[in-house]
Amino acid sequence: MITIDRVSKRRGRTQVLHDVTLEARPGRVTGFLGQNGAGKTSTLRVLLGLDRPQRGTALVCGHRYRDLRRPITVVGALLDGSGAHRARTARAHLRWVAASNGLPAGRVEEVLDVVGLTGDAGKRAGRYSLGMSRRLGLAAALLGDPAVLVLDEPVNGLDPAGIRWMRGFLRAQAAQGRTVLLSSHLMGELAEIADDVVVIHRGRILAQGGLAEVTGAHATLEDAFFALTATETGGAW
Amino acid sequence: MTALHAELRKLVTLPSLRLTALLTLAATALLAYASAAAGQRSGLGPLGYTQAGFLVFGALAAASEHQGGEQVRATLLSMPRRLPLYGAKTLTLAAVAAPFAAAVAATSTVPAGEAGRAPAATAYLTLTTLLAAAAGTLLRRAEAAVVLLLAGYFVAFPLLRDRWGAALPDTAALDPSRGTAASLAWTACALLAAGAVFHRRDA
Amino acid sequence: MTAFRHAVRAEVRKLLGLPTAWLGLAAGTLLAPAIVLLNAPYTRRAIADGTIADPSDLGLQDLGIGLIGPMVLGVVIVSSEYTSTGPDAPRARQLTATLTAMPGRLRLLAAKAAALILVAAAQAALVATAVLTLTQVLLGGHVPVPAPARIAAAVLYWVLTALLAYAVTLITRNGVVPLTFLIVNSTVVSVSYLLTKVTDLAVYLPDIVGAQMFIRTADFPVRVAPVTAGLVMTGWVAVLLAVGAALFHRRDA
Repeated sequence: MITIDRVSKRRGRTQVLHDVTLEARPGRVTGFLGQNGAGKTSTLRVLLGLDRPQRGTALVCGHRYRDLRRPITVVGALLDGSGAHRARTARAHLRWVAASNGLPAGRVEEVLDVVGLTGDAGKRAGRYSLGMSRRLGLAAALLGDPAVLVLDEPVNGLDPAGIRWMRGFLRAQAAQGRTVLLSSHLMGELAEIADDVVVIHRGRILAQGGLAEVTGAHATLEDAFFALTATETGGAW
Repeated sequence: MTALHAELRKLVTLPSLRLTALLTLAATALLAYASAAAGQRSGLGPLGYTQAGFLVFGALAAASEHQGGEQVRATLLSMPRRLPLYGAKTLTLAAVAAPFAAAVAATSTVPAGEAGRAPAATAYLTLTTLLAAAAGTLLRRAEAAVVLLLAGYFVAFPLLRDRWGAALPDTAALDPSRGTAASLAWTACALLAAGAVFHRRDA
Repeated sequence: MTAFRHAVRAEVRKLLGLPTAWLGLAAGTLLAPAIVLLNAPYTRRAIADGTIADPSDLGLQDLGIGLIGPMVLGVVIVSSEYTSTGPDAPRARQLTATLTAMPGRLRLLAAKAAALILVAAAQAALVATAVLTLTQVLLGGHVPVPAPARIAAAVLYWVLTALLAYAVTLITRNGVVPLTFLIVNSTVVSVSYLLTKVTDLAVYLPDIVGAQMFIRTADFPVRVAPVTAGLVMTGWVAVLLAVGAALFHRRDA
């Protein structure tokens, strides 16, 4: 369960988030949709305690992220890149993440196997391809077997087989009762996988609800998205 | 010519290099004042410390190609002939480092009334920058190159000076008559090694 | 408490997985004993002909050569968090992963400090044992064995140096500037030492005052008693750590 309530964030003179409010529920995949620079990553960074908002609260299962005792057993997060120091091997990276939350080293081998990196675990993270980096990031997110998954553009850099695998994987996670929040600017992709959709544009939430509800009378989610944002901006491109 | 121009543009738009130059100049002025106040009348004294700025300058200039966004890919895609490219890089760095070196050398020597030693000091500091750049190219990591260079120049070499002075690359900083040949030889060898590695290595 | 122990274990693991940290470990551990060994014949001669009038600081004094070790460790434990993870995501840094796993920022800083103290103290104990043993073996007749309290003070100096580097890097968030500054200032005739010729107050700079915990023969304009010296250096480290921690707590990751 993720509850974000009226979060506002300013960077320098730019107001990047205006009163962002959204909810992601257990057992459902919630798609967070917006163009580049709309505020998706900023919202997720506030949720994960990486950046501080000027106002508002962002809670996971009723707690602020930074108050969680063993956070990666509650929330698994995948952000830009793998988060591994480039000079470290993938296995060494996962081992320290596991140690930080008191997880057994055996867990590292399990998640390496889940994401298919067992054979490359001895390579330095800086040598990884984009797709491998994403898999490594996902492996770190899965270490603590968390009830909530937060993923920023998870299919970026994955090949078609990887995208298909990710789709099935996230659906299965939601089916097991987990809360899945993923951001994307790929509307077709999101329409395939999400139960609920939240639309953000220029730091404001424009719509949220079930996929059918947000799509409304439009033929596709993409049409609905551009109809929503066009009234706001008069055509972004 | 276009390679020189492109490399020059890359170097002068790096904020970390401007900051390094500024800090080095400020530190030299401060030390020149401090050593005068302490009664040490050697125009080369402050340079013994602030040559560290040139080691960092060279290492950063070279390693910047390989850090963050891996600029080296973009560079090699637009200028694929590597040896001429490396030559252009070295020349450009020398051209950028020389005026910086001249300013620092003057700041150090003129207050001590030894302006005559400034040209030699300028040449030494420029050579030192090129040597550091070669180390940066070889290691591809600014931090590691800086640790290695500083460990040599500020920890190991001073302790070896009595016996091996004439063979160390930094003796010329204190005693140009004894160390010039070593400075030239070290820089030339380092540049040749770095050029060869840059030529052969997968980017 | 177990959460903190896990965090410390993770930080030790992270530190020991960095190639640059190993450069610091190797240089810091090997340089001092190697130089003592190489210079032994010259030192023996210098004692014999009176160039070194009071040899009681030999050994302890040579530990200073290895200080590059704790400096590198203190810097990279922070700067490694800020270097980019790779070419495909230049904005991504290890710090994101670290704060995702350990979101309590002050607890994270405490865990990093604890990990650093453990590694630096182990290195200091190893180097002190090696250097003092070598000094006894090579120059035995001339150099007295220093009192245990002075050896402990030298180890403390080593650990405080690591923490000082850690604190400064927390403030700068960049490794190259503090590394350069610290290593240049650790030379035989350091900038701080030069400043003591300008003003007596420079005696209270952290590196100079700290050395007075265990060095007897250095020529400083003002003598500071060992315990006072230790307190002053600890005070410097505490203030810089407080500034670094306040900034780290407030800044966006």
